[in-house]
Amino acid sequence: MSSTSSLILKLSPLALPYLALFCGGVFLTVCQSFGLLTPLPYPGGMVDAYLELLTDSSFFASFVFSLGVAAVSAASAVTIGTLLAYRIWKLPGRLATVALVYKIPLVLPHIAVAFVVLVFWSQSGILASAAHQLGLIRSMTEFPNVLYSGWGIGMILAYTLKGTPFAMLLVMAMLVRFDARQIQTADMLGASGLRIFFSVVLPRLAPAMHTGFIILFLYSFGAFDIPYILSESRPGMLSIQVYNLYFKHDLARRPEAMAILTIMFGFAVLFIVAYSKVVRRLEDGVRKL
Amino acid sequence: MKHLVTLLVLAMLFVLPVVVLMLIGLAPGWRFPHVWPDEFSPQAIAYLVRNHERILTSLSSSLLFSMLTVLATLPMCLIPAAVFARVDFPGKALVEGLLLTPALVPPMTFAMGLHYVFIKLSLTETMLGVVIMLAMFSYPYMFRALVAGFQSMGEDYRMCARNLGAGPLAIMLKVELPLLIPAVIAGGSVVFLVAFSEYFLVFLIGGGSVDSFTGTLFPLLSSSNRSLAAVLTLIFLFLPIALFVIMDTTLLRLYRKMQMI
Repeated sequence: MSSTSSLILKLSPLALPYLALFCGGVFLTVCQSFGLLTPLPYPGGMVDAYLELLTDSSFFASFVFSLGVAAVSAASAVTIGTLLAYRIWKLPGRLATVALVYKIPLVLPHIAVAFVVLVFWSQSGILASAAHQLGLIRSMTEFPNVLYSGWGIGMILAYTLKGTPFAMLLVMAMLVRFDARQIQTADMLGASGLRIFFSVVLPRLAPAMHTGFIILFLYSFGAFDIPYILSESRPGMLSIQVYNLYFKHDLARRPEAMAILTIMFGFAVLFIVAYSKVVRRLEDGVRKL
Repeated sequence: MKHLVTLLVLAMLFVLPVVVLMLIGLAPGWRFPHVWPDEFSPQAIAYLVRNHERILTSLSSSLLFSMLTVLATLPMCLIPAAVFARVDFPGKALVEGLLLTPALVPPMTFAMGLHYVFIKLSLTETMLGVVIMLAMFSYPYMFRALVAGFQSMGEDYRMCARNLGAGPLAIMLKVELPLLIPAVIAGGSVVFLVAFSEYFLVFLIGGGSVDSFTGTLFPLLSSSNRSLAAVLTLIFLFLPIALFVIMDTTLLRLYRKMQMI
């Protein structure tokens, strides 16, 4: 057996399901977006679903809204996560064990994290009660309407709470291999704490932060669970729009749902490629210095 | 002092929610503007005991399909991971990137395309269908962990076993797999958590027939019975932790017995 065919054979346990289910699934989504292979024959033209979407301003609003929620939540999760991971890394051994509580939201499902946000931030929630106790507000309507502001703040809070420990996990894995003597050297050479963090530590952690950002950003961009509990009416997340088109309308609108999914898929792939290109270019630049 | 601030932030972010959930679970009548419940009542626990059958069914169903997902991803990834750790071939980085995409792109994008085929193949509303779908987007975590495991194991054990006359199957089962257990557990834990906490895909493929704990919890989250929702959420938290602790201690004992450490 030649080495190529043996290679293909050895990869097949993963390659076959990948091609059949993942590629096949995406292929079927794309086909159905063109009105092909739909459960019922689709009377419209091939690109009708896309034309429908492109002329629909609410689709653009949802797209931009999903992007915004995903970008803000992923950026804050990575920022907070990196800072906390660094602080935990500096803790003495015994305290570092206590710090393992950070893994709690990792175990909680997304819908449970959404519930936590609901309990804390609603106008009759814990924070409103605390504000009342402190005399900051007199009735619950005076508490800012965080969850229904129209800015997706509730979803951002939930994704950030769920994403922070994930970013911490990735960054901690980098920190384990980080040589503390580099910090001591910088310290001896007179660098301030801030300077050490930004010039010595952060560049080493950057790969983990980039990975974390890509994963968290794309997850929040396309996931369904948290928006289903915390979403406001308009503009909604794209996943909710797909859900409504798929389950709450008749089969004639199926291609529209699939067209949104196709656009989401295309965007996700483009984002991964473009982001890794930019990061590689930035790192090349750093190396030349 | 600085450490105290760190610990305080961690407690506020990650421990306080759990404490509040416990209080809500014990005090159904806790409402604005009280920062501490007026009275406690075991109402939610009583409800839990009354409905223990329904809750246990959904819990065991969730545990079952999550375990099966872990068991499905292991044979999928084992040999390919060994190849990726050891063999260099043209286009390797690209293939690896492609194989990791199912965990990155929104799972809806391929799951909904497959949905219609699953209906045709009568895979919807079955445990098998749910496991296939869950395995399809959670396997990258197992794959990454196994590649790292193979890399840190190196080639020496395999060479040694081969020189002593072991065949490929014996090497895999008796030498490499036991050494890979930490990697399998690392990857398997993530796969388990991803499967166990998934709501949408189980709902899409499993329909009403495959019970899931998330499916039981979901309608309660927006209902007025916050107390019960809080208690179920806590089960969600402590059950996997308990499982991980049990697994860790058993393994430690096993390793001691085998005198591997």
